[in-house]
Amino acid sequence: MPNKSAFIVLSLACVIVGFFIATQLKIVWDTDDPLRLRNLDRPRALAAEIEAAKKHNERLQREVERMRSELDKAMAGQRLVNSKNKLDRIRAFAGLAELEGPGVKVTLNDSQETIKPGDDPNLYVLHDEDVIKVLNELKAAGAEAISMNEQRVIFNTEVRCIGPTVLMNKSARLSPPFVIKAIGDNDTLFSALKMKGGVIDSLKWWGIEVKVEKVEKVTVPPYEGGISFNYAKPAQ
Amino acid sequence: MAKRSIFASISLVAIVLGLLLAVQFRVTNNFPNGIPRERTQELAGELRQLTGENETLQKEIYDLKLKLEQVNAGRQQAVQAIQSELDKAKIAAGIITVTGPGVEVILDNPKGFDPTLPAELSIIRDDDLLKVVNELRAAGTEALSLNGHRITPITEIRLAGSFINVNTKRVVPPYQILAIGNPDAMKESLTLPGGLLDYLSGDLGIEIKIKKHKELTVPAYSGDLELNYAKQT
Repeated sequence: MPNKSAFIVLSLACVIVGFFIATQLKIVWDTDDPLRLRNLDRPRALAAEIEAAKKHNERLQREVERMRSELDKAMAGQRLVNSKNKLDRIRAFAGLAELEGPGVKVTLNDSQETIKPGDDPNLYVLHDEDVIKVLNELKAAGAEAISMNEQRVIFNTEVRCIGPTVLMNKSARLSPPFVIKAIGDNDTLFSALKMKGGVIDSLKWWGIEVKVEKVEKVTVPPYEGGISFNYAKPAQ
Repeated sequence: MAKRSIFASISLVAIVLGLLLAVQFRVTNNFPNGIPRERTQELAGELRQLTGENETLQKEIYDLKLKLEQVNAGRQQAVQAIQSELDKAKIAAGIITVTGPGVEVILDNPKGFDPTLPAELSIIRDDDLLKVVNELRAAGTEALSLNGHRITPITEIRLAGSFINVNTKRVVPPYQILAIGNPDAMKESLTLPGGLLDYLSGDLGIEIKIKKHKELTVPAYSGDLELNYAKQT
């Protein structure tokens, strides 16, 4: 009898020892070979690369911002007032200048409802197409300038889902709540969004949280990304 | 002696079992690595976009440096620099006609569809056009138009009554989208397996054609530039 229990204890201890040896070996192998680690941990390696690119991006954005204002000052010094005024007007329309005025503030957030068993949870979170529809609705209602989470909407602004977040203007990863600011006739903007059977109505049906506020003054930031045309040339 | 060898063999068997268990555990644990394959692709996509954007910024820095030197070199060069900045802003605003390589995307109702039916009964909806435009933007387009109307920063593509409006003008199918930019990158982005094209043509039955062009002309926005509510700070 004592023999039998000794057997069991010993076997158990040996299993544990074996487990430890194997784990230890794996760890040593993993850390010894960086290539192996990279393959095993590709997402983590990518995340680190993204982090580095993002830092670089911020540095470049600051540099561009500094040079743009330096160029503006230099132009002002050359007394090219007419051209400069024209440039400012076009930049404002293009989304390259900070603007303020009356408008609306729209806040979108994922559904906080408890999802019934069997329901697809994907239907209750915000998607890029929902955001695109809200932006489109604001444009249709005559918005003159729009931003989302401080990212200015310009001619080539895309909104694409990355898991539970969206990537906008190529370099900005945004997560809900999304705060959209639009300048324009605030009554028109407000009622366009609130229209029965409109875009907000259909989002609310899925429990997406939407708040629309009419405001007397809202500030929309300029586009922070780079503007460089490699393919499009002015027609002769 | 016999007892001892039994002990030894059991121990050995148990250690091997432990090793196997651990390996098995690691394998099952490692397989999704906590992050599914799709996530890896999304991250790779995000990195690609960031790298592209950094290149654009780098190019603009170079361009601004050049213009700064020009402006400081004297009045004549300064006029040139400001003209070049004006052209850049005009392309971004969409108020100048531009040419360049790109893609043409044509979306039409399936054959046999009664063309006299109003747009709200059309297979192609404003959402679908918005999706195509969004995809082209993500693929780095530099100028866009839809049935001859330039897409500006504040252009809507929206069903109003029985028609889709673009810059408050009616458009009817077939819808032709022109996009200047890298033709290969834009076509590839639309035609990825399981991508937008598969959805629009396969799932919805939309007739869709994508063609690369060496030279396209995207017209200028001809509407009002005046901002009535927004003021510069």
